[in-house]
Amino acid sequence: MDNHIKKVYVPMTETGFYILLCLREESHGYGIVKKTELLTNGEIKISPGTLYGSLSKMEKDGLIKYIKEEDKRKIYCITELGTEVLELEMKRIERLYKNMVEAK
Amino acid sequence: MKNTKTELRFFSVPEWKKEETYLREQHKNGWKFVKVSGFCVYHFEKCVPEDVIYQLDYNQNGIAHKEEYVKMFNDCGWEYLQDYVGYSYFRKAASEMDGVEEIFCDDASRLDMMKRVFKGRLIPLLAIFFLIIIPQMIQQSLIDTPFSRGLMILFCIMFVVYLGMFISFAIPYWKYYKSVHKE
Repeated sequence: MDNHIKKVYVPMTETGFYILLCLREESHGYGIVKKTELLTNGEIKISPGTLYGSLSKMEKDGLIKYIKEEDKRKIYCITELGTEVLELEMKRIERLYKNMVEAK
Repeated sequence: MKNTKTELRFFSVPEWKKEETYLREQHKNGWKFVKVSGFCVYHFEKCVPEDVIYQLDYNQNGIAHKEEYVKMFNDCGWEYLQDYVGYSYFRKAASEMDGVEEIFCDDASRLDMMKRVFKGRLIPLLAIFFLIIIPQMIQQSLIDTPFSRGLMILFCIMFVVYLGMFISFAIPYWKYYKSVHKE
């Protein structure tokens, strides 16, 4: 993983995190919105402008890849690099969580 | 009574938030936005007054892949209206939202949009500013004729207008930048 990717994606935005998390399974943009809503009890509603920008950027940076198009919706899936980034981010959040619990 | 109206309104490059508010206010007053065309001519038609949120995106990649771009907004309940000088127009009724909804949900993506506007719209203006306005001001200040004084005044006005535009772009940009890079 090069430094550019690390600098841009670690730490990443909450939206970015949920996009990668959802794309461990193939999905289109709206699928990500729905799944994120479900995972967060409706608290996080990803907006289309944010989503479109993030998906384009992540595809360009090789974190996700385009699979196919269905009914004008592009379907994506996470790549190896994307998985690496996601795992790095998960570790960071785990550490954050551990320290938070200890500090309580 | 007329059922349509047109208004001439000028919004400079960094003023899309003002434009969104303008369109929302019109709809609240019973004037539904139809299109903007020509040189800043806004067309409206009479409607039942309603609170409708208007939003502008600036995404050339999206315009190049129009179908899937618009589809994503439609899926999220946003109606696509048109493109105008690189901006895409969307609207959604406030009654269909739970809470406040925008087409961007974090400052990182708001900053990304501003970066796209900077590349697409602001760089040409900066070029005019540094390559024409400033050199002309210097040149005209060296000549002392009534004509050059007239030109000097003209370039001074342009200088102030452009500077104002850059500042009104830089303030929200800086705000989002700080919010994204606070760590």
